[in-house]
Amino acid sequence: MLRVMSAFRGRVARRRRALYGVVVALLLVVSGCGNGSSSAGDAITLYTCVNDETVQPVIAQFESDHPDADVKLFRAPTGDLNARIAGDQRAGGLKADVVWACDPLTMQGYVDQGLVGGWVPAGAASIPERFRTADYVGVAVLYMVAIYHDGVQPPASWSDLTEATYGPVAVPDPNVAASALGALGYFDQTSEFGLDFYRKLKDQGATQLSTPDEVVSAVAQGTSPAGVTIANSAYASKDAGSPIGIVWPEPGAVAIYGPIALAQDSADSSLAKDFISYVASEPGQQVVAKGGSYPTLSGVAGPEIPADAPIVFPDWSALAAEKDSLLGRYQQIFGG
Amino acid sequence: MAARSTSLGFRAGLIVVSAAVALLVVVPVSRLGYVVWTESAGGLGQVWSRPGLARAVVNTVVLAAGVTVVAVPLGALAALALRRSDVPGRAWWRVAMVLPVLVPQFVLGYSWTQAYARAGFTDTVLGVPWPAVQGPWGVWAVLVVNTVPLAYVFAAVGLAVRAEPDLERAARASGATGLTALRSVTLPLLRPSIAAASVLSFVLTLESFAIPQVMGTPSGFTTVTTLIYRDLSLGSDPASFVEALALALLLVLLTIIVVIPADLVLGPRLRVSRVAVTEGAPVEQRGGRAGGWIAAALSSYLFLGVVLPVLALVAAALTPAVGVSPRPDHWTLDNFRLVLTARTFDALGRSAGLALVAATALTVLGVAVAVLERRRSGRILGTLVTLTLVLPGSTLAVALLITYGRWIGGTLTLILLAYLAKLWAFAHRPISGALDRLPLGELQSARASGAGPLTAARTVALRPLAPALLGAWLICVVTALHEVTMSSLLYGPGSDTFAVIVLNSQELGRIGPTAALSVLLTLFLVVPALPVWLLIRRLRTSTGATGPAAPRGVADVR
Repeated sequence: MLRVMSAFRGRVARRRRALYGVVVALLLVVSGCGNGSSSAGDAITLYTCVNDETVQPVIAQFESDHPDADVKLFRAPTGDLNARIAGDQRAGGLKADVVWACDPLTMQGYVDQGLVGGWVPAGAASIPERFRTADYVGVAVLYMVAIYHDGVQPPASWSDLTEATYGPVAVPDPNVAASALGALGYFDQTSEFGLDFYRKLKDQGATQLSTPDEVVSAVAQGTSPAGVTIANSAYASKDAGSPIGIVWPEPGAVAIYGPIALAQDSADSSLAKDFISYVASEPGQQVVAKGGSYPTLSGVAGPEIPADAPIVFPDWSALAAEKDSLLGRYQQIFGG
Repeated sequence: MAARSTSLGFRAGLIVVSAAVALLVVVPVSRLGYVVWTESAGGLGQVWSRPGLARAVVNTVVLAAGVTVVAVPLGALAALALRRSDVPGRAWWRVAMVLPVLVPQFVLGYSWTQAYARAGFTDTVLGVPWPAVQGPWGVWAVLVVNTVPLAYVFAAVGLAVRAEPDLERAARASGATGLTALRSVTLPLLRPSIAAASVLSFVLTLESFAIPQVMGTPSGFTTVTTLIYRDLSLGSDPASFVEALALALLLVLLTIIVVIPADLVLGPRLRVSRVAVTEGAPVEQRGGRAGGWIAAALSSYLFLGVVLPVLALVAAALTPAVGVSPRPDHWTLDNFRLVLTARTFDALGRSAGLALVAATALTVLGVAVAVLERRRSGRILGTLVTLTLVLPGSTLAVALLITYGRWIGGTLTLILLAYLAKLWAFAHRPISGALDRLPLGELQSARASGAGPLTAARTVALRPLAPALLGAWLICVVTALHEVTMSSLLYGPGSDTFAVIVLNSQELGRIGPTAALSVLLTLFLVVPALPVWLLIRRLRTSTGATGPAAPRGVADVR
């Protein structure tokens, strides 16, 4: 009996040691992962929603030009970025030195809250005026274009999409994608369209999907014969082999620029300013273009764009002022 | 004396766990409430009167109820059916039942539409599309398919831990039909597990986001979570942000309304205390063609709910682009090449470490709450830890960021805290549902015979609970690995998780790489799952052979 008991205890002790071993190993895994890179030099934090393929090469090039500099990156879709910034604000202040947004409305929101702005690099002057304000400067552009499934007659203009042949047109949700909100703003501001354009699309059975990427998938799958989406996403999919065609329709593809701005709390960080200046400079813009985004600086060649492609620009300050009522009116058409 | 030390231990445990609940649940949720209260500046009325909110709330509640009343009985039925030894390939079906959870939610919507929508699999191959898949019915169907495994696990764990086969035998021997024995003996014993599964299913549907967003919103079907997503997307405007938080608190309120009565009234009544002796082998049920029918029903469920959507996913991972037909001559590994980078593996390792640590800690926390809630003073704990489960990931992440970001913002520790807060109920409910063989008397006699507290707990309490603990642990590992929103919102330099890679791939606008990532993630789960499954089988056999049931077997032989 006693022997049995002691054998039993021995087994328990061995098992317990094994258990401790596992726990310690697990803790090591986690703590080992926690050791981020630390650098002796200057460091700044960049918050952005720009995709990795564009932002990583920009950071890599900047860091190789400034060997002591360390650019820490937080990248997330606009919704998450908003949540993170709002969280930061209520936990001791914005942790970013530089914010690179994907649309001017989001950035204007940060400016209005006194989080960013008040400074643009000297080089910003060479970027077209419609892509900048006194608080931020556009360093990349998205173009809202029309796409169609192979075999469908390409639409020549935006109004063509309201014809029955293209129904049900897939459109991105302006409540979710700022690029879609930019397009909504443009159509609403342009007398030949107005919200009637959306009403006609809806009458043809238009489907509202969440993001421009989902529009590309729907048109490529053939669920919708045509759709409204951003050019980068459409070309990437077409180049990979998706059966779609891309049109820059009359009167023009809608341009949505992605601005970069300095955090108010980092107003004296020369490294943050250097980074912004670099992204807006010609070498920076070339890296942006190589990463697959359309640059704002004229003269820098970017991704595919047809010769003489027509381009239109929403009035962003007007759009910022009437965003809520516009979305309310849009909601009456698309419901939900 | 033993009683006094137990009560001291209970009190100490209550203090520690209450502190953890305060840290992970009460303080973060209160912080959200505080932000909404102070920053809405009287505009809260505007939030409630928002057009479309009432409909979204109704949609959310009806969906949650609709998913629960179908998925939970289906899961319980499957668990009961798989007790029958005449189902061909029973061991395989038991594993197959949980397969749907291995497909990450972030690709589930895509794989279902690809399988069933217009121009999808069934349309091109059979000419039978199911257009309603993009709408409320599709959302409901996918959520049901994804909830059934959860209900199945709960019921199977409940059966493994709670069943009284000897009682069933007695009922049958006294002339009860199989159905009567099921109704009067087995089902009443399963009730706590079924109640736990129902609460969790309801709450999980309330907070589900990816499926309603991808499959519901195109047809104008909105839920509270899709409204929250919209608000955050436009959230550089403080009013939208506060509105999102207010809506998240509305979900908490809905949970309180449903779960508190269930927990306080139903919970204690369903709980019983029994001796820790495990019963003999389950009742053998055979006869007729029932086994064949069960296998046929399970295979059609798995074919429609798992195989077709997974095939669609694998096809997407292997074809170069959406809309290219997945013929073998189009197959390419480009998508895999694109995502198989050192960074992906770093992130995957980090996510795996986080998931393992979180699941292990959660199992301990789950046991703690399940034990403490059985006394009056600890009863509310189980309900409280459910409140953070219903918070959509984005708002829970914001809550933790606001509360602790000042000190640990951007670290893995904060992500770990978020996982603990989010998944505590996930670990607690299955254990709580199974924990009625809490053999206090036997624990005390073990202590009186000289066993240390740990030894007593391990040998007396742990053994019969092992299936429940393992079930809870596995659910937590899988859910933590699939988690996308919280870690992608909370990460910092050097703490990017797999979710960050997934979201980035999604943003590049091509489904192929995202599908490839999900296939990788699934393989990553399945490959280690195999040895774990074998281990469970061994554990089960060894429980049968050397557990407390053995002497009874010997007695029977005599």
